[in-house]
Amino acid sequence: MARTTKYTLKEWDTLHNNGPFKLKALYKTKLEGSGIMPSKIDRYNDAAQEIRRLIGEAQGSNEGFRAHGSAWSMSNIAHQGDRMHFNAHMNLRSHFSGQEIHETSPYKAENVFLVQCGNTIKEISAYLEAHGKSLKTTGASNGQTIAGCISTGVHGSAFGVGSVQDYIIGINLIIGPNEEDVVYLERHTKPVLTDAFIQKINARVIRNDGLFNAALVGLGSFGFIHGVVIEAEDLFLLKRYVRKIDKNTALELAEGLDFENSPFKIEEETNDQGQGTTPYHYKVFINQYSKEANEYVVECIYKKPYRQSYPDPFPIIKQSIYGDLINLIISISRKFPKSIPAFVKSLEKTILPAVDEVTTGTLSETFWDAPYQGPAFACSFGVDHSDSAKALKVLTELTKTDGPIPGIFAMRFIKQSEAILSFAKFPITCMIEIDGVLWKKSRKLISLKEFSRRMIIALMDNDIPFTIHWGKNADWGFPNLVSHMYGEKADTWKAYRSALLSKDMQLLFSNDFLKTLGLFSEEEENEEALEDLIASL
Amino acid sequence: MKLSRIFILAFSCFILSLLLLQSCYSVRIRSVEGAYEPEAPLTRTDYYRGMAVIELDTVITISATSKDFTLLIRSTELCPSARLHTIEYRNTLGAILLSAVTFGRKRKVKIKYVCMKDDPN
Repeated sequence: MARTTKYTLKEWDTLHNNGPFKLKALYKTKLEGSGIMPSKIDRYNDAAQEIRRLIGEAQGSNEGFRAHGSAWSMSNIAHQGDRMHFNAHMNLRSHFSGQEIHETSPYKAENVFLVQCGNTIKEISAYLEAHGKSLKTTGASNGQTIAGCISTGVHGSAFGVGSVQDYIIGINLIIGPNEEDVVYLERHTKPVLTDAFIQKINARVIRNDGLFNAALVGLGSFGFIHGVVIEAEDLFLLKRYVRKIDKNTALELAEGLDFENSPFKIEEETNDQGQGTTPYHYKVFINQYSKEANEYVVECIYKKPYRQSYPDPFPIIKQSIYGDLINLIISISRKFPKSIPAFVKSLEKTILPAVDEVTTGTLSETFWDAPYQGPAFACSFGVDHSDSAKALKVLTELTKTDGPIPGIFAMRFIKQSEAILSFAKFPITCMIEIDGVLWKKSRKLISLKEFSRRMIIALMDNDIPFTIHWGKNADWGFPNLVSHMYGEKADTWKAYRSALLSKDMQLLFSNDFLKTLGLFSEEEENEEALEDLIASL
Repeated sequence: MKLSRIFILAFSCFILSLLLLQSCYSVRIRSVEGAYEPEAPLTRTDYYRGMAVIELDTVITISATSKDFTLLIRSTELCPSARLHTIEYRNTLGAILLSAVTFGRKRKVKIKYVCMKDDPN
């Protein structure tokens, strides 16, 4: 049997110290040993039974229950005040035979993998690479669990690909304490697994595009994500260039993503006509305080076929400061005074260090480990990429007029997601993010919450439609924030959640984050209408 | 005369403290592959936050017949895989002096290590 350890605690915190938050108990489940239970499917089902038991216990005590992974989110999305479950030790992985793939599936069996919730991006990448495969995209690092990634919408800057949730093609949820509460969701227009395989994991299948797209970015509130089915692709290499380029050129590229007609070119990455080719990934780093900022640092990454022999990327990757934005700002902050105003004053004189880095590596080598650097904040707004320069101006001006704020900006780009509550809602979403060192409110410094509120107001005042990254800091209690960002889609998401989960389970899987956003209410709903939403089509 | 003595004393103290500072250092070795054994709940506030760390701070005695010492990594709650992900050793002036005055018989061992996450696959 899977074994669960209970820790009685008073508080819980995120990796980046954005809490602490009150907590009664933390649970940690470890799988049965492979010597005692050799079959992976048996161990997977055994873990499901244990999670159902824990959900039943929480229900019996009228308490909430919420899974969490690596705790990288800076908002309180992962927090639940009663019972939290650390799922990192639920890390089985498996591949499929052709007979286990649905006869009308558009997916090749060799690209389809089942991964349990607690697998980190790094673990999955290593497993896929052993099969000659790769994930399609990741965030800037690799420590998040797969369930955490899709619950919060983790993304990179692969604007032709999307976010992590966009290569999830099946979701196995545990939505209550009973046997029939193990459900497996996939799209009815793109089925993946045979009913025979789904029976092996003791799940009932619901093939329904709408429900799947609602659960895909479920904010941790669509039940316990036990496992997901992912679509991988053939292993590939990424050639990464970090350059300083003219500010206006960088912004024009952000607005148009037209690399063919841009004056910015990397000689090795041009077509037969000498025009620039479109990269896989484009990212811009901005120090808004620098008075000499007529140049921005950009990271352009091009996709290449895999070959076995290429230069070792790690000597550069481990030293590079232009990876994760948090690492960049914290490594800069170490050189300067601890006082925030003095630090920001130093930023005015500091241009981002010049670079001319070139590396080649797999996806997992390029977006490698990002060790903890200290308490940090991050705010991230999604806007249509055609609004990116305007929105960046609004937000950077705000940090100067209402600041100082000890952080700097970056822009990344994501293809639109089918997930109902994905913040990648525009055809190409530009995520404008400010990351930095956590600070305390004082006479000279406004609070992070106040700064977040003013950023929302500034975008609204300038008529720039936006979304906010679910796992980052924001004034989540801002009035009508969710309906402003998602309109009727938010009601659709709520309806699907109400249809899938019983009343008890809606409460059990909710948390303060959901309540603050107005995405959970205990109102009576039309049960007949809801039944249609969870029909298998 | 007095001034030059004070200067020599101050200079000697400066050199000594410089030596002390230089003789304290740590070296970290980390595998590029594999995930680390995670810590839950999160308690650390240093480089190792999020990792299950095992710390060893002891003095070992080398017998006259032994030339070296091997620390064995066993499977434990904090290190179920018994495979190493990261190891950091720290050297101090005290450790060097201890080894010197005992002719290498006693050696200070101050290490931190993190194991690979257990792989059930």
